[in-house]
Amino acid sequence: MGERVPQNIQNLVIRDFCEKNNLFYNLSASEYSMSNSHKILDQIIGELKNLDGIVAYSVFQLPKDNKKRYTILTQIIKKNKKFYFALENMKLVNKDDLEKIENIWLIKKTLPDCLKII
Amino acid sequence: MSLYLEKNESELSKKFLKNGYVILKQKNLTNLKYIRSLIVKNSAKIIGIKKPNDKISERFLNNIHKDIKIKELNNFRLKIIKCINEDKDFKKKYFDIAKDLLFALVGNELAMQSRVNLSIQLPDDDSSLLPVHSDIWSGDSPFEAVVWIPMVDCYSTKTMYLLKPDKYKKIHKNFSKYIGKSSLEFYKSIKNDVKWIKVNFGEILIFNQALPHGNVVNEENETRWSMNCRFKSLYSPYGDKKIGEFFEPITLRAASKIGMQYHLPKIND
Repeated sequence: MGERVPQNIQNLVIRDFCEKNNLFYNLSASEYSMSNSHKILDQIIGELKNLDGIVAYSVFQLPKDNKKRYTILTQIIKKNKKFYFALENMKLVNKDDLEKIENIWLIKKTLPDCLKII
Repeated sequence: MSLYLEKNESELSKKFLKNGYVILKQKNLTNLKYIRSLIVKNSAKIIGIKKPNDKISERFLNNIHKDIKIKELNNFRLKIIKCINEDKDFKKKYFDIAKDLLFALVGNELAMQSRVNLSIQLPDDDSSLLPVHSDIWSGDSPFEAVVWIPMVDCYSTKTMYLLKPDKYKKIHKNFSKYIGKSSLEFYKSIKNDVKWIKVNFGEILIFNQALPHGNVVNEENETRWSMNCRFKSLYSPYGDKKIGEFFEPITLRAASKIGMQYHLPKIND
């Protein structure tokens, strides 16, 4: 969503989140830097069988496209896995979580059209 | 004020603009008592004692300095913040307590701070001071308002102060003169113009965080317990504290949901 934080800082935030939430940080993966790429995320979702879930740095790393994002999130729920977002301290486990995430995304996408100068 | 505001909303707005704050006495204490009981329960658990009876909750909190040392205070406070924010009903109850005020002063489509803060100020403790500041100067949006809820009666040095809006104009006009001063010098220069806000348990305070505010060493013989949480109109400008990471939508309306997902149909040539 137009914001980029250095990878080492993202990793620090993820590690800290895992520690605080008693999650075992197994391995890290970096997305391709090409704009709108979610190839690595798709790949991890396909290989989730032996993992409890995914911890992403931010919920705004999900695809900007509503349909694509919805598909990814519902896949996680169907697979009975968890998707955590460290910066926002959020998790996706069920449909209520999905609605919360979608609302935040829709608002974030709407804000550029709202008053923004303080 | 807008002609379409209810009379009581107009009155609240006028007070808020004139004084920089509004205090509202709660008619129903159920939610406040729930929150206080939650805090007492977790405090007792952390200290390692049996939860005191609800009838002596206020006395227990007022005297917590007899059980907690200053050096242990911040860890104790952080543990309680974690526990209360994890309670599934806590934030909703916090919002419900302030709902009427927020709808009148901020709006009815709101974003709420994701984690409610807790301040504990022990008597004579100079390590928990909040020097005079305006939240806007450090990145908050001026579209936010703070809902401050005491768990004990707060008065004199056991409460917070707020610079009166008419006095703030002078600071705003001569800001460069004040910015180089230490917090203490700054406070001394506005000391006679601040309002010490007396708020009892059972009342809630909503204030304009753009106005300089803070606290001093609590010279009373009781501990202050108060919570604070920011609210803003969902679509108003954000400062450094963004939607998702700091704020979350709490009263998203149907028309907004429709609008945010709407795309005009495509016309094929």
